[in-house]
Amino acid sequence: MIPLCLPATLDSLDEIGKYIVAATTEAKLETKPAYGLRLAVDEIATNIITHGYEETGKAGNVTVSGEITDSSLTIVLEDSGIPFDPLSRKLPSEDELNLPLEERDIGGLGIFLVLKGVDSFSYEFINGKNRNMFTMNLPGKA
Amino acid sequence: MAFDAQLAMADHIAKITLIGSLDASSAPRFKEVIEEAAVQSPTKLVLLMDSLDFLASAGLRVLIFAKQKMGAGVDIYVVGSQGPVLATLEMSGFHHSVYIQETYVEA
Repeated sequence: MIPLCLPATLDSLDEIGKYIVAATTEAKLETKPAYGLRLAVDEIATNIITHGYEETGKAGNVTVSGEITDSSLTIVLEDSGIPFDPLSRKLPSEDELNLPLEERDIGGLGIFLVLKGVDSFSYEFINGKNRNMFTMNLPGKA
Repeated sequence: MAFDAQLAMADHIAKITLIGSLDASSAPRFKEVIEEAAVQSPTKLVLLMDSLDFLASAGLRVLIFAKQKMGAGVDIYVVGSQGPVLATLEMSGFHHSVYIQETYVEA
């Protein structure tokens, strides 16, 4: 798929979402995994835009690209914001997930949803860029 | 994928209809409506989610905010939520703290 380069602002989440819907439709992914992938990409894009750009006062772009093979759909998000490994975030424990809302910490849910939503997720910082990669196995082919 | 949140207050019950996609770009609008409801000291918060087709963690954080802002005594009802949106709420443990219903029935 043709990569899409967008300004690193929250308004771009909508366009990123549409790109993922187009990719999952083209890959013929079923509704549940398609939603999981869209959610995972939305969560990481939000982190990139919020922590990598808006909080640091930096302007820039985020690029989303997709590749469909016989066995998988891979989405890559790339940005030049501050290096940030989402996997370094602490995941909520089972006990924390069971806490009543009035006692819950407000963070940590995003990366939890990422890991629940995709078949594999990886992060690397390479050539001055954050590279977040999401892979979905295609049914009956993996 | 646009988002809209509409508040209707009746008998101290705040009903908010959520439509479209709720993520970090739309969560501030949802938070605004929660604040608008909170100042009217509702006894219950009913979220009508039949037409909410996407829910990210930013939306979940507004639900936590709502509970903390309105107080533990204000019950939250999530009504009409289905499919992956409902799955996200359950996966995140929110079903332990809110009433999940197909149609609104006072518990």
